[in-house]
Amino acid sequence: MTSLFVNPFHFSTISENPADMLGDFYSNNFEKKRVDPDSMILNLGPQHPSTHGVLRVLAELHGEYVLRAEPVLGYVHRMHDYMGQVKTAAQFLPNTGRVDYLHPVAWNWAYVGAMERLAGLEVPERAEYLRVICCEFNRIASHVMWWGAFVLDLGGVTPILYAFEEREKINDLLQIVTGSRLTLNSMRFGGMGGDVDDRFLRLAREFIPWMRERLKMYDQLVTGNVIFRRRLSGVGPMDEDLCRRYGATGPVLRGAGVAYDTRRAEPYSVYSHFDFDIPVAETNDCLGRYLVRLREIEESLKILEQALAQLPGGPIKHPKAPKATWKAPAGEAYFAVEGARGKIGVQVVSEGGKSPYRVKLRSPGFSNLSLFAEAAEGTLLADALAILGSLDLVIPEIDR
Amino acid sequence: MTGLELYESWRRLGAKVICRHEFAKTGLTFSAVMPLPLVVPAAAGLLAAGYFLEDISAMQVQEGFLITYHYDSTAHPGRVAVRALADARGEAPSIASVYQGAEWHEREASDFLGIRFIGNPNPVPLLLPPDFPGRPPLWRAEGARASLAALGLFGQAEVLDPAWEPIVNPPAPAKEEKAEEAKAEKAKKGGAS
Amino acid sequence: MDINLWSVIKLLVALGAIIALLIANSVVMVWLERKVAGFVQRRPGPYAVGPQGMLQTIADTVKLLSKQIVIPGSSDRFLFLLGPVLCMFPMFIMFLAIPYGPWLTGLEINLGLLLILAFSGLESLAVLVGGWGSNNKYSLIGAARTVSQSVAYEIPLLLAILALAFMTGTLNLTVITEAQTGWFWHWNIFRQPLAFLIFIITCFGETNRAPFDLPEGESELTGGYHTEYSGMGFALFFMAEYTSMMLVSFLAAVLFLGGSSGPIGNGVWWTFLKMGAFMTFMMWVRWTFPRVRFDQLLNINWKWLMPLGLLNLWLTAMAIKVF
Repeated sequence: MTSLFVNPFHFSTISENPADMLGDFYSNNFEKKRVDPDSMILNLGPQHPSTHGVLRVLAELHGEYVLRAEPVLGYVHRMHDYMGQVKTAAQFLPNTGRVDYLHPVAWNWAYVGAMERLAGLEVPERAEYLRVICCEFNRIASHVMWWGAFVLDLGGVTPILYAFEEREKINDLLQIVTGSRLTLNSMRFGGMGGDVDDRFLRLAREFIPWMRERLKMYDQLVTGNVIFRRRLSGVGPMDEDLCRRYGATGPVLRGAGVAYDTRRAEPYSVYSHFDFDIPVAETNDCLGRYLVRLREIEESLKILEQALAQLPGGPIKHPKAPKATWKAPAGEAYFAVEGARGKIGVQVVSEGGKSPYRVKLRSPGFSNLSLFAEAAEGTLLADALAILGSLDLVIPEIDR
Repeated sequence: MTGLELYESWRRLGAKVICRHEFAKTGLTFSAVMPLPLVVPAAAGLLAAGYFLEDISAMQVQEGFLITYHYDSTAHPGRVAVRALADARGEAPSIASVYQGAEWHEREASDFLGIRFIGNPNPVPLLLPPDFPGRPPLWRAEGARASLAALGLFGQAEVLDPAWEPIVNPPAPAKEEKAEEAKAEKAKKGGAS
Repeated sequence: MDINLWSVIKLLVALGAIIALLIANSVVMVWLERKVAGFVQRRPGPYAVGPQGMLQTIADTVKLLSKQIVIPGSSDRFLFLLGPVLCMFPMFIMFLAIPYGPWLTGLEINLGLLLILAFSGLESLAVLVGGWGSNNKYSLIGAARTVSQSVAYEIPLLLAILALAFMTGTLNLTVITEAQTGWFWHWNIFRQPLAFLIFIITCFGETNRAPFDLPEGESELTGGYHTEYSGMGFALFFMAEYTSMMLVSFLAAVLFLGGSSGPIGNGVWWTFLKMGAFMTFMMWVRWTFPRVRFDQLLNINWKWLMPLGLLNLWLTAMAIKVF
């Protein structure tokens, strides 16, 4: 039995085994910059209920106040950039669906779009519409999952199980087009790999009014809850300047009141055919970002409604679409799409070889998370985790 | 600040090459090749102009490391790129003092390519483990490196530093005269804009 | 109370019955909680082991019993082991004072209410000891939260109960129950609605249940004070949670809901029914609301419940004086 009276704030002095005293590289590096000698350094993750996978956050705490925080990445790093430059373009395409498991369609699209831009490939109009439909359905699935997980971060356990119902319906729909449910991969250079059938159209049309009803339920169950609102309003303010310095995009930037959406700013595909709004928040706090995402679901439903009504006939793949062994011509192209978490960008540089010379993936979560250290400074631990949740993190996308 | 104003500001700043691109074909509107130390003032100018940093993309080429900073603006959408060529030692100044978000992008580039960003506030590995064995993963074998000229990065270029002339407008082996003509024309167009 | 053989035998029988009750309660209520959670979340809940999954909790208990109790190398071994024990054992004494029926009380004493309130303070001590002894930072934060939470919640709870004691002029639970005999308008919930409201809110704080489950705070502190516990150490903390839930539910039944009186046939079944209903209510709340933040929790207490409790006490005193 060791002593009854120990000071729990000095952990390194308690252990009799020197091996226990050693932190790892990152905690030592973090401890070097300690700002308060009496503070406690808390290691959240990589296995922690609200770090959504394997994010690790080192936090220096004074009581429950976060003095300083530093995310540590790399626990699901898979080096997609490298795979992009050793595989052929067609071989790498399935990888893009693995980057972000909640919104794979957008990543498929960013890569396919970059390759099409580089090679000047044309895409039939029906394929463009199908891409929009898949992407928006996938965006809704991603947002409802975030909704559930975010409330889970705040201690409300039930909503995530409701969110799974919506996601399940959307997965059933997307399965008809893409054949898979998680790491979707239905796009091809110059078109789509699969077409929709009558069943899909019928179910998709039924889904839209049903989802609108569910959104009302979301408002009643969560948005109007007084505990929920008090947990979020005024927490984690992020203004335009902060977003700019860290390159934050998507709902985080729109939550700061900037109506910036890649679908409008860099019109791609057939998004210019649709009438939809860019929701922005009046308050730049966690509640603002929450409301922006819920309203984005409504806007996605609006786009879906129009896309399903206007869906033209014709082929889904351009007759001159390249084969699997195709080589991209020399040059550089950058293609950005609006993902559920923000601006997804893919830069492709090619020298005309078998595989691209460089594939650079720009993930929105990476930039969004980088502002966490500044946003979390001086907040309570519970608020810091609410901020973390409001950024909508998908760790494989950040680590790539 | 619109793209054209940027173009002028880069010229004043001392860019080596300034290019105009066709957005529909490359996804860029303007790009500039800066001398390495000027990357920081260029970033400061872009921040003042309301641009945000999209990413920092680096690649190994025969001449060393090409670092590309992609910026975009919420007010005047249209991606611009600032490029800089680091020599084979792989050292570059950090822009993290201007764009704090650049810290992570720079650390990522250090992981993947071994480039050292001087002045980065926390220069430790980000995505790769600190004890990652072997060479940086995106390094290429000596023979597999492309020359900058072969990558077709420069659209309609105005060359301000003669040392970059052969890179931007590589002399075609058979039709040297024609290339010279096109070069002159491009330079004229770039100057006029 | 004079001590003779009869009273000692009676006490021992009561203690044995209470231990059996607490274990049975944990088994049944954990199952019920899972079923309620399943109902709220539109899923079946446990259904594979036994009819309607009724044996699931027993299977879980066997699993927990057979698990190794891992004691962290750098923990304070004595405090670490003391925590769960200290958490569970004061519970038995508290249940002695509760009048389950007109004739069914473990220990008839005049200060039954005081006994319960005094021993309920030990529970936060147990959590503090366990959390501190674990030598884990999450446990430590959880333990620190428990202490400030129980300091904050016991005062409004006392104030609410004190109003009842004013009215009946006693701290004897049996007398308080008897004062409510008859139809439900005699119940204290109608005579002291404000006290009941304060009581409900403080119940959640006392039992560390959502939305006031900050010492556990799963999404912040992984497991809070019991992060390091495994096997029976964890099971005791878990049982203590359900036991304290049952305790406050019994208190609610006895103090506010008329105890053993009911529309048909007064008796012990009414107490248990009311206790069950109150516990189900607590489960329903847990699976519906998100968690409050710690400073908000303290604000609710010090800024709302305390003044309201004092106001209620003053009003009660005035009413007694006037009428």
